[in-house]
Amino acid sequence: MLIFNTYKMKKYIIKSSIAIALFATLSISCSDNFIERTPVYSIDSENYFNSKADYDNALVAAYDLLNSSYINVMLGEIASDNTLSGGESATDVIGIQQIDEMTHTPQNSNLKDLWNWMFAGVNRANYILEFKDKTDFSGKNQVIAEARFLRAYYQFELVKFFGGIPMKGDARFKINDEKSIPRSSATAVYASIEVDLQYAIDNLNPVAAQKGRATKGAAQALLGKVFLYQDKFVESASVLEGLITSNTYSLVSNYNSIFENAGENNAESVFEVQYTDAEGASFDCLQCSEGNVAVGFNGIRNYTGPLFDSGYSFNVPTQEAYNAFETGDSRRDVALLNIVTWAASNTGVSYGTGYKHTGFFNRKYIARQGDANVGDQNLTNPNNYRSIRYADVLLMAAEANSRSGNNSKGQEYLNKVRDRAFGDTNHRITVTGQALTDFIWNERRVELLGEGHRFFDLVRTGKAVGKITGFTANKNEVFPIPFEEIQFSNGNWQQNTGY
Amino acid sequence: MFFVVVLFKFFSFLNNIFIFLKTNQIIIMKSKLLLITFILISSLGYSQMLEISGRVIDAKSNTPLVGVNVEIQNTSQFFKTDVDGNFIFSKVPSGSKLIFSFIGYKNYELNVTKSQKLTIEMQAASESLEEIVVIGYGSKKKRTVSGSVGFVSNKTIEELKPIKIEQALQGTVAGVAITSGSGAPGSGFAIRIRGISSNGDNAPLVIIDGYLGGDLGILNPNDVESITVLKDAQAAIYGASGANGVILITTKAGKKNTKTKVTFNSYLGSQETTKKMNLLNATDYALLLNESYGNGGQALPYPIVTGLGKGTDWQNEVFNKAPIVSNDFSISGGSDKITYSFSGSDIYQQGIIGGGKSDYKRNTARLSLGVDFSDKIKLSSYFTYTYLDRDSLNENGLGSVLFNALNTPSTLTPYDSNGDFTLVPSTTGFGIEIINPLAQIENTYNDYKLRKLNGGFTLNYDVVKHFKFTTIVGFSTANSKGKNFSKKVNYGGKVFDVTRSSVNQNAINNNDYNFDAYGTYDNTFLEDHKIKVTLGTSVYKEFGSGLFATGFDVPNNSWEFADIALATGTSVAGVRDVGSYGYDERRLSQFGRFEYEFKGKYLFSAMLRRDLSTKFGPDNRVAIFPSFTAGWIVSDEDFFKKDGLFNFVKLRASYGLLGNDKIGNNRYVGSLTGEGVYLFDGTLSTGVAAGVLPNPEIKWEADEKINVGIDLKLWNNKIDITSDYFIDTRKDLLISNIPVSGITGVYAPGSGSPTVNAGTVRNKGFEFSINYKDKITNDFNFGLGYNVTTINNKVLEVANSTGYIEGGLFGVSQPAPSRMEVGHAIGYFLGYQTDGIFQNQAEIDAHPSQAALGSATSPGDIRYKDLNGDGFITYKDKTDLGNPIADFTMGFNLNLNYKNFDFVAYTYASIGNEMVRNYERTLANVNRSNYILGRWTGEGTSNSVPRVTTAATNNNVFSDYFVEDASFLRIQNIQFGYTLNKTLSEKFKISKLRLYAGVNNLYTFTKYRGFDPAANDGSPIGGGIDSGFYPTPKTYMMGLNVNF
Repeated sequence: MLIFNTYKMKKYIIKSSIAIALFATLSISCSDNFIERTPVYSIDSENYFNSKADYDNALVAAYDLLNSSYINVMLGEIASDNTLSGGESATDVIGIQQIDEMTHTPQNSNLKDLWNWMFAGVNRANYILEFKDKTDFSGKNQVIAEARFLRAYYQFELVKFFGGIPMKGDARFKINDEKSIPRSSATAVYASIEVDLQYAIDNLNPVAAQKGRATKGAAQALLGKVFLYQDKFVESASVLEGLITSNTYSLVSNYNSIFENAGENNAESVFEVQYTDAEGASFDCLQCSEGNVAVGFNGIRNYTGPLFDSGYSFNVPTQEAYNAFETGDSRRDVALLNIVTWAASNTGVSYGTGYKHTGFFNRKYIARQGDANVGDQNLTNPNNYRSIRYADVLLMAAEANSRSGNNSKGQEYLNKVRDRAFGDTNHRITVTGQALTDFIWNERRVELLGEGHRFFDLVRTGKAVGKITGFTANKNEVFPIPFEEIQFSNGNWQQNTGY
Repeated sequence: MFFVVVLFKFFSFLNNIFIFLKTNQIIIMKSKLLLITFILISSLGYSQMLEISGRVIDAKSNTPLVGVNVEIQNTSQFFKTDVDGNFIFSKVPSGSKLIFSFIGYKNYELNVTKSQKLTIEMQAASESLEEIVVIGYGSKKKRTVSGSVGFVSNKTIEELKPIKIEQALQGTVAGVAITSGSGAPGSGFAIRIRGISSNGDNAPLVIIDGYLGGDLGILNPNDVESITVLKDAQAAIYGASGANGVILITTKAGKKNTKTKVTFNSYLGSQETTKKMNLLNATDYALLLNESYGNGGQALPYPIVTGLGKGTDWQNEVFNKAPIVSNDFSISGGSDKITYSFSGSDIYQQGIIGGGKSDYKRNTARLSLGVDFSDKIKLSSYFTYTYLDRDSLNENGLGSVLFNALNTPSTLTPYDSNGDFTLVPSTTGFGIEIINPLAQIENTYNDYKLRKLNGGFTLNYDVVKHFKFTTIVGFSTANSKGKNFSKKVNYGGKVFDVTRSSVNQNAINNNDYNFDAYGTYDNTFLEDHKIKVTLGTSVYKEFGSGLFATGFDVPNNSWEFADIALATGTSVAGVRDVGSYGYDERRLSQFGRFEYEFKGKYLFSAMLRRDLSTKFGPDNRVAIFPSFTAGWIVSDEDFFKKDGLFNFVKLRASYGLLGNDKIGNNRYVGSLTGEGVYLFDGTLSTGVAAGVLPNPEIKWEADEKINVGIDLKLWNNKIDITSDYFIDTRKDLLISNIPVSGITGVYAPGSGSPTVNAGTVRNKGFEFSINYKDKITNDFNFGLGYNVTTINNKVLEVANSTGYIEGGLFGVSQPAPSRMEVGHAIGYFLGYQTDGIFQNQAEIDAHPSQAALGSATSPGDIRYKDLNGDGFITYKDKTDLGNPIADFTMGFNLNLNYKNFDFVAYTYASIGNEMVRNYERTLANVNRSNYILGRWTGEGTSNSVPRVTTAATNNNVFSDYFVEDASFLRIQNIQFGYTLNKTLSEKFKISKLRLYAGVNNLYTFTKYRGFDPAANDGSPIGGGIDSGFYPTPKTYMMGLNVNF
């Protein structure tokens, strides 16, 4: 009996050992390295920039955020005395409605978008600059200069809207930087922009290799503007003079042609944000659209009829803006569509009246018929945004000269613009001093109406109070930092005064 | 690995002790056995005597049954099986019958014709304490389960006739909530076990016969034998995948030593909408519009109202009666060594909107095969092939078919005089999204087809006595094809106009497999100490790829020609019309479980699992999840009076830590998956940009589950009560796309915010279920079941500086209405609190200014509460307006059997859930629900519904005016059946023939104004917003069940 049991027990132990051995083998074969695998078909962002092509590709992405600056252009008008919010109703894009009323608070989704998108642009430029020394290739300076131009462009937009912003040099912002990196002063931001643009001027081609790319002239014009915004008139006049005397750009004779499809990237275009109708888009990701979203938003509500396509009736010009044009100014009916007149003089026109309907539409940037209407057609309009026109350069140069005491240059550049507008030389301005400057400021309004500059021109020239209904001095010069950002910064950033 | 080694050592140590104890015990047992045999022999006569011996085991778990009564029929001779389930009769007269009986099991009969040694498998009688419940890598008697476990038998499934198996869980298991964002054929369900814990994926782990990648959506409900739901720390054996709860599906298999059994089930049904909303007819609409325009100071749109009549009822136009047909059959049986079951099913359902444009077809074929290679090595396997075909319409959103049907006014006709679809005018009053819903249905073309092969193999090897080794392999491979045709169409200047036809196609291949191996040591020593040790390892891998392409300019602008093969057009240069993706995700785990029972009444188990997942970076890949359960069967104590009211009392408690890794892939590493596209020289250039911001620090969500419960049987086992209290605290919540500072560039196209462990959500709740079964006479028996679950959901932490996360959509371009915020339920609604209607200007003047909301206020407008008391109504006055999570959910079920008749009724109730009314397009000319007839028209006329006007008002900002109580009680299913007398049916060689008629979703009691108060897509933040939910249809059905 005992022997039997010992035998059985032995068998038991052997079998158990086999089972355990089997088990152990299995466990080892499924050892932890089963989990070691590289992600399928993906490129590690920290192991890039190994060839010129890599830099070129990253640069394309840095340009991409220019498309989302449509909101900057809209808000620059709506916040000013040029246009009203419009839309469908008082609750249609509340952020825009509040900015029109100057009742905006830090909780404003449109300002938040603007902040987010412009910083996305800064970060994409800085992605290249962070790795600028990794790989060498010929023509690298051009790539770096374009990246620095773009960074300056995005930062200028930010400083215009929000005042001082955080900066991190040639490096991308990381999470928690918002808790440690302070908001630089507006002066420091401008200083950084100036250095970037000077580098761009020194390294960019005068003529772009492809339409849409930043040029030396674009950098000069932007630098001139940056100086002007800081009341550095001499510097501004000087850098703009360089651009004007290079004779790279000229005014297009027919003002109306500038804003039609055929007028894109014309001789007057110093820098132009390129849009296309080639790709669909949706409201889920407006910044993903390659089309000009503002154009659909500005469009005539429920429009049927010739030439134009319908839209959401935002950004509607005021009667006062209409009246700002002198008699005989060819620019009025280009900048503003008087829908009543238009409907009366064309057959088959019908349209809807949205919120704050004025009877006027921002004709430069409303949808035209003839584009591909891909995807959500209101979000994919191909109208390029003429960011810096030569006319703007001339008026900036005129202002810089006038305000630094050079009346003749001020008159000369102003009158170039006026000659084109009136088609004659009878409307030239001959006054000097502050009177000349006042004329130049007024000229900026009518020349550039609908192009997103008005609010900032009023602010920088101290004219906003009284002109903009609801504008509070020492508060509304800048917009509030988005509420969320202040929260994220955990006390690191102070909200702008008054908000 | 370390802990596995330790457990192994422990295990072999135990083994040695047991062997020693066992050998001594056997000697004692053997002598007893001899004695009994001797007595038996001496009492027998001298006819032809045979020897029958063997072992009695439970048919499901193969565990030996101790103390089974084995008797020779019509004699007083009996024997009880020993601790190993063995029995032996040395002298049994030939031709006699052995009856095996055991509490909780069906009797087993054996005709004795020859001497033999055999294994008797006894089947558990359903719903008793001896029922075997699968608990993951093993099973247990219900009696000794110490975790919180829900159970649905195939009987319930047969009664409920679910189209999809998820529906069988609705109202039948406490703590399990099933919701669907749509009643469209084939639409998915969200299963939430004990509430919403994560703001990400809350879906439970589904395991089908050991296959870890289970998908309930494609199962044929008739293939399911039972569903077990692990609700508490019991699920910890699945560690990192168990935090959302585990659903274990056991599928049907053949039974040993049974004749071939053939079943056939069929039903035919007709579906219709449960509800039509009360909308304005043409005359009322015109009058309302006149008033609205008048109030807005505009010309009256309908100067003449006479003759408009009732106009078009757009709901009648879009809703139709739709058929549903279901057929399935199965053939099953088994011999001594082999069991088999083969089944096939076909279901076809059309939609109550759009008919064949929203339909669902599912075919399944399934083979289940069990083979005993020897007494020790046994294999069970199954293969399932599924084919799905689904077409769908635009649902639940701005521009869905129902949204259009609700907003298109009754003054418009569907067709013009030529029989073409009319256009909804493109004017401000109609907006640019509202189109003729019939035209929309007509112009919707899509198709989705899925083919999936799924299988599982379980190999059991009884290595030595008490030690069993099990290997499970599960796999699936699925290919789907989708096609979507955008017809060139003109709705007259609406956003849905398509100027260029295109066809979008995709081909997706998804695969996964798991390989699990575990050993189980199971022994009882010193009579009272029952120990079971399970140790194992599991690997899981899912991988696949998808391919997408779009072709333009479809020939003839027709669905018949809609294929990339024929569509020759492409987008302009630079735009990519193609795309693809691939993935490869893996999980590796080791697990161990120790179970101990003392005297069968003190129960304890401990589990430990180690998981590794590719979802996390190298530093945080590993996590260890421990848990414990304990139970005490009080009724087995000596002091317990067996003849009292209570027949059975068990107390249970469990505690454990579980995990969740359900996040997007590769979130720990930065990839260049962003979108960087820009136009140069008029052509799009595609660049390269960073994708979602990585977070190398992400780790598992840690879910702490605490549960205490009680199981009771009383009144002669007629009443069955189970009750649980639980606290689930989910820490380190994986919040994907968590709002972070915009300076990091996360709002760039194709980028995104990182996934961060940044939240804590707690669900506390109470579950109670009671079942009462009784037999009034031999002909009449009935069962009643009721269960209730309370859920208290609270967000304890959102660690992202703002303290909240937003979601959901309301109206057009309005701020997100839903939030996850500390101190509130996840996904609560944030908006203004209303305080009636301003009756006159004096009231407005006396109230804080509402100007900050955007518009001027007039009498008849909504008054909002100044909650922060600053004298102005601003965004700071927004408050918690409720949430879509029900406070109580209940199920009440009834079944009656009288002679050959049977009747069942299932009801389900949800109380305290709010829903946002978002199907009204707030435009001047849209149609309205008729509650607007009770609007404010002058002082004292209404204090709840504001005036109508075309002028700008603040009445449409998100407030509690739009939040409705969506509590409801729904009669889910009633069914009345008749089974033919056996004597009659057997004449036709039919063993059972049952005919029945029933109604699914018969009626819903609710105050909610929308179509379906039960609809909710289950989104943690942004759920419960009704933009025109496709209602679950009411289905009248007739069917038959035949068994051969």
